[in-house]
Amino acid sequence: MNSKLVDGAECPRCPADTITHLATSPVPGVWDVLQCTHCLYTWRTSEPDRRTRRDAYPEAFKLTDADIENAIEVPAVPPLRV
Amino acid sequence: MPYDDLRSFLGTLEKEGQLLRISDEVLPEPDLAAAANATGRIGENAPALFFDNVKGFTDAQIAMNVHGSWANHALALGLPKNTPVKEQVEEFARRWDAFPVAPERREDAPWRENTQEGEDVDLFSVLPLFRLNDGDGGFYLDKAAVVSRDPEDPENFGKQNVGIYRIEALGANRLAIQPVPVHDVAIHLNKAEEVGEDLPIAITLGNDPVMAIVAGMPMAYDQSEFEMAGALRGAPAPIATAPLTGFDVPWGSEVVIEGVIESRKRQIEGPFGEFTGHYSGGRRMPVVRIDRISYRTNPVFESLYLGMPWTECDYLVGPNTCVPLLKQLREAFPEVQAVNAMYTHGLMVIISTKKRYGGFAKAVGMRAMTTPHGLGYVAQVIVVDEDVDPFNLPQVMWAMSAKVNPKEDVVIIPNLSVLELAPASEPAGITSKMIIDATTPVAPDVRGNFSTPAKDLPETAEWAKRLQDMIAARH
Repeated sequence: MNSKLVDGAECPRCPADTITHLATSPVPGVWDVLQCTHCLYTWRTSEPDRRTRRDAYPEAFKLTDADIENAIEVPAVPPLRV
Repeated sequence: MPYDDLRSFLGTLEKEGQLLRISDEVLPEPDLAAAANATGRIGENAPALFFDNVKGFTDAQIAMNVHGSWANHALALGLPKNTPVKEQVEEFARRWDAFPVAPERREDAPWRENTQEGEDVDLFSVLPLFRLNDGDGGFYLDKAAVVSRDPEDPENFGKQNVGIYRIEALGANRLAIQPVPVHDVAIHLNKAEEVGEDLPIAITLGNDPVMAIVAGMPMAYDQSEFEMAGALRGAPAPIATAPLTGFDVPWGSEVVIEGVIESRKRQIEGPFGEFTGHYSGGRRMPVVRIDRISYRTNPVFESLYLGMPWTECDYLVGPNTCVPLLKQLREAFPEVQAVNAMYTHGLMVIISTKKRYGGFAKAVGMRAMTTPHGLGYVAQVIVVDEDVDPFNLPQVMWAMSAKVNPKEDVVIIPNLSVLELAPASEPAGITSKMIIDATTPVAPDVRGNFSTPAKDLPETAEWAKRLQDMIAARH
């Protein structure tokens, strides 16, 4: 697995540009699977623009830093039993 | 003849005309999910789908919609494929009475053929992962049976849980998992996290069709899914020992993933297009470290499309949600005739019952909300008379339209518990709940004018059976 950052890549879902490479197609050169290290959005490069391009990504699914920081825990971490 | 693995069931589906092989090259996205989505739109006896030519993959095999029709659900239980839904539920309830049936331990499970461990683990090299819905945060394992044990009572076979939970692939050896607080794995995780320990789990993919049914079934905490599988199969469930965790797992799985839910850690997960027909939103969820993967050579990756109902998910968890509620309600109220909990995993339930006295139907509705499953679901209950088939929606609508006086027969109870995924809950996890009493009032409840109902002719039931048999014989 290649976990290096992908130069010039942008997360379709959040503004981050820290994108890593998770997998490549068994048939060489067909697609790659990329992941945003910030919001963890994961996509295949062969998917439609509405899932892979920031300018085509639906507003309803975009995530901001506040969305990530304020996301509720499910389930909540319980208190440590002493 | 029960099925010991997914492949033998796929063979039966093909023989019965209930499996469609798609050999044209398809894109992993959006084709796989769109095709499975389409099965829910082409009629209630849609086939399973089998893909073996997916662009960019070399030897991927993907099965979808395996339980996604009444015909396939009947075949999974070893019933004729044209068995009516009400009969499937009744047969399911009848077999329940054989519980518990001890499993049969076998060696040489086919998933022992290949192994990845430690640094070599790469989930993407084993499974052809793909996205389902547009807004999903990533690629999901959504039909895996997850095995975990009660950390405070690890040798208790009944408390060992087998459940289906949504699991997102976050990396080569990283997953995120959704343990909804009312579910058994969340109880196990809570106990482990209270003492700061990781929770070992085994995630089994591509199982025999009854294993998927029991793993998606709201059973009691200390009831064994393996022992219920034996009851429903009519033969002991074959199990094997997972090599790393030592957990009991299905013998016939395609893939067994072992690792731990890391203690007291949460990471952003989702959204995911859920069984509610809505996205879940992004939440901070527990994460899994994969330590070992065991898998059959060229494993079949079984996945399930879910989104706006009806989808495979609804067929899979429909009957298996009806039966526990039916059994638990009858413990208190033997007057209960049938329970249809097939709508959104029982967020809405229709119950037919006889009445002891006026007001009785509302008590039945309240009991449904306080069953173990009802605490997290059952937000709306429609109660109908014993002569109304709750699986026959036109009959239910007749009862609603003719027998309900809204002022007295609609009861709303505020601030009750529901699972956080329920889109209408506010705040998440809290909702009001409603009972609609669509039964005929009986004394001392003397409301309305119900003295001269029109009934089916005495010969009608016999003729219905005769016509069904003639239609079945024609195929």
